[in-house]
Amino acid sequence: MQPAAGAALVSMRGISKSFGENRVLRDVDFDVARGEVHALLGENGAGKSTLMKILMGVYRADSGSITLEGADIAGESVQDHLAHGIAMIFQELSLMPNLSVAENIMIGREPRGIGWRIDDRRLRRDAQQVIDHYGFPLRAAQRVRELGFAQRQMVEVLKAVSQGARVLVMDEPTSSLSLREEERLFAMVDELKARGIGLIYISHRMTEIFRLANRLSIVKDGRLIGPLDPAATSIREVSGLMSKSGVGPGAATGGQRSAPAADRPAALTVELLSTRSKLRDVSFSVGAGEIVGLAGLVGSGRSTLAKALFGLVSDAHGMVGVAGKPLRLGDPARAVAAGIAFVPEDRRLEGLVLDHSLSANVALPSLSLLLSRSGLPVVSDRRIRGLYEEYRERLGIVARRPGQRAGELSGGNQQKIVFAKWLATKPRLLILDEPTNGVDVNAKADMRALMRDVAASGVGVLLISSELDELAGSAHRILCLVDGRITRELRDARDEAALRAILQSDIADRGADARNRLEA
Amino acid sequence: MLQAAEQPERTRFAASLWRTLMQRPTYLIFAAVTAFFVIFAPNFATLGTAEAILRITALVSIMAVGMTFVIICAEIDLSVGSVASWSGMVAALLLQANLPTALAIFLVLLQGAVIGFVNGVLVTKLRIPSFLVTLGMLSIFSGLALTITDTEPVPIVDDRFSNMFWNANLVGLPVPIWWTLLLVVIGFYLLQMTVFGRRVYAVGGNLVAARFSGIKSDRIKITAFIFSSVTAALAGMLLAARSTAGNPSLGSGLELDVIAAVIIGGTSLFGGVGDIPGSVIGAIFIGILGFGLLVMGLSTSIQEVIKGAIIILAVALNRR
Repeated sequence: MQPAAGAALVSMRGISKSFGENRVLRDVDFDVARGEVHALLGENGAGKSTLMKILMGVYRADSGSITLEGADIAGESVQDHLAHGIAMIFQELSLMPNLSVAENIMIGREPRGIGWRIDDRRLRRDAQQVIDHYGFPLRAAQRVRELGFAQRQMVEVLKAVSQGARVLVMDEPTSSLSLREEERLFAMVDELKARGIGLIYISHRMTEIFRLANRLSIVKDGRLIGPLDPAATSIREVSGLMSKSGVGPGAATGGQRSAPAADRPAALTVELLSTRSKLRDVSFSVGAGEIVGLAGLVGSGRSTLAKALFGLVSDAHGMVGVAGKPLRLGDPARAVAAGIAFVPEDRRLEGLVLDHSLSANVALPSLSLLLSRSGLPVVSDRRIRGLYEEYRERLGIVARRPGQRAGELSGGNQQKIVFAKWLATKPRLLILDEPTNGVDVNAKADMRALMRDVAASGVGVLLISSELDELAGSAHRILCLVDGRITRELRDARDEAALRAILQSDIADRGADARNRLEA
Repeated sequence: MLQAAEQPERTRFAASLWRTLMQRPTYLIFAAVTAFFVIFAPNFATLGTAEAILRITALVSIMAVGMTFVIICAEIDLSVGSVASWSGMVAALLLQANLPTALAIFLVLLQGAVIGFVNGVLVTKLRIPSFLVTLGMLSIFSGLALTITDTEPVPIVDDRFSNMFWNANLVGLPVPIWWTLLLVVIGFYLLQMTVFGRRVYAVGGNLVAARFSGIKSDRIKITAFIFSSVTAALAGMLLAARSTAGNPSLGSGLELDVIAAVIIGGTSLFGGVGDIPGSVIGAIFIGILGFGLLVMGLSTSIQEVIKGAIIILAVALNRR
């Protein structure tokens, strides 16, 4: 049964929501009480952000009710929900860094003096009162730009609570915080609890959930599991509940993994790769034809590692070899020439020129190989089109014509264009950063099959993914990255729940280590 | 795809013409304004008029070719007018010093390239917005052009030079038109046919994605700035040849016509979109407008007003 936690402040009952054919939420009950932290867990795409958007009034539920202290508020706008006191804390996004803490807290309702001038002194005094009331370590006159991330979140929180927020949603609040800052954030959460605010705390980090939460719930495949009492469960049990049961290990992916070619030189060797802030002495290798997975939380340095290998991080140093030849870091053009291909995390910003044609996008990294056969230094449009058609067929890209703008395609097809662009360079090493992020289920399966085909053809693949079943189902080896260090290497890990538990315990260990060092 | 291939050649041509017109509604204004002058301006529709317009447009057209590269890179070059004035002065002074004509021309183009290189390096390596860098350069070179001879024009007595850049005819066409054609061909080749050109589009279309594709975006931008300044130096020599003297203020204000020509021609100020023929058509349009209004007997002051209004209208229509 549910642990008792006072009367519900806000309560969602029987919430269902579909987008087209896709049923995202089915009959979900969720509530938060006054002075409680209710943690919400779930895989990317499990439906937790949809649930929160319904709570915020961004989406309307297809069915179900939302009540705030007994009054029905379902189906009203974001503004109405805000006015009712339901607020979401974004990470620094909604603050103006050029303004002071006071101006940010009081924005939109600044006290006016004579002649509509803003009364700066009252503004600062009012803001300082709010700060003192909650006892946060902030000064009203400070510029937000000078604050750390934890303090920025405090400003966000004060802005919300001073406008009457009673329910706060915090989405991954610690993902960009240092350890010292985390402690401040936790102190803030305790303070807010003590003042009767209800908190919904979304996080992937179980150690902090177990530390802060009064109750925890898991969203899986559109259904809610829980609420559970953290004192009566364990990280292991929760990990098991989160993983996609019913789909046996490997079944989702076909389960075939070709053996890496041991006789050829490694596709990638990395020794003691470090950057100033994110990576610490990272060493590993990727064999030809091998898929190496990289597991870790957002902010653990996974993307930094990928970018450093591709030459996009200026302060990276270490010994890197590609297909047996040393690579000097710091220049993407050299990385491409050495045979590295990189499918980045954000395809719209980093992967594609959205306003340009599909064929131009596919040809971009290999333009100098697509010269006219006449011998003149002229790019051949026919060869560009031929290249595009070749990969359109091979990857099953659905598009109207080669001249279509890349921005017009669906997410899955856009991602295939990015894949095509890099496969066309005939790489030795393919780095994939969240390759199936934000694409539909079928495209996901296509992408995974493609990745295995590419590896089977002798290319080394470095796969970064937040979806542990993707790693468990595809990778020959999995490296765990925690705070910029590789903590362990797992061979043939096929059990997603076990992988999650191992990762979480490594995170907890490192957190404890670092905390000890701070105190020493 | 198959359907397109099965379509008869003529409908495909009509379809692509229609698409072009839809993408470039300015061409309709261009046609309307020209038709207006042909009907109402006395003796407008003659070969002589066409030749005169192309000749006076040569300066703007040449610089518009260089500017197109810079604007497609999502940058801007405000310094071309004053670099043209300055380069005209440098040319006149070098000729006055009795340097061989060919050497003088080479040196003028070279110093143009150096100016462009400095612009490009300041923009890419020091990350100063190009608007500010080239605004500063505009001021510096208009000042230098005035200072170097204490505002005195420098006469050019070298007939070869004046013939080469302005006075002579070649196969029945005045040389400024030949220079324009040459630059258009070079610009078209570089921008639309080479690897460099495709990379210019990519850098302007999405700088991050271009860098993530292994493109040396800084080099591309620096090259674009160099090309722009070299066209400005060439235009400066045409200017000097036209008035057979280096005159320190001849090029001032030309940058606005050049930028207007490029934008009217369909190049996006946000980068990534545009082409050379469009820019030249834009330049010719501005030329026709000025010449037509002149023939209609309107004063230069009111001409400026009408020109400005039509440019705003054209650009407003071009926004997609």
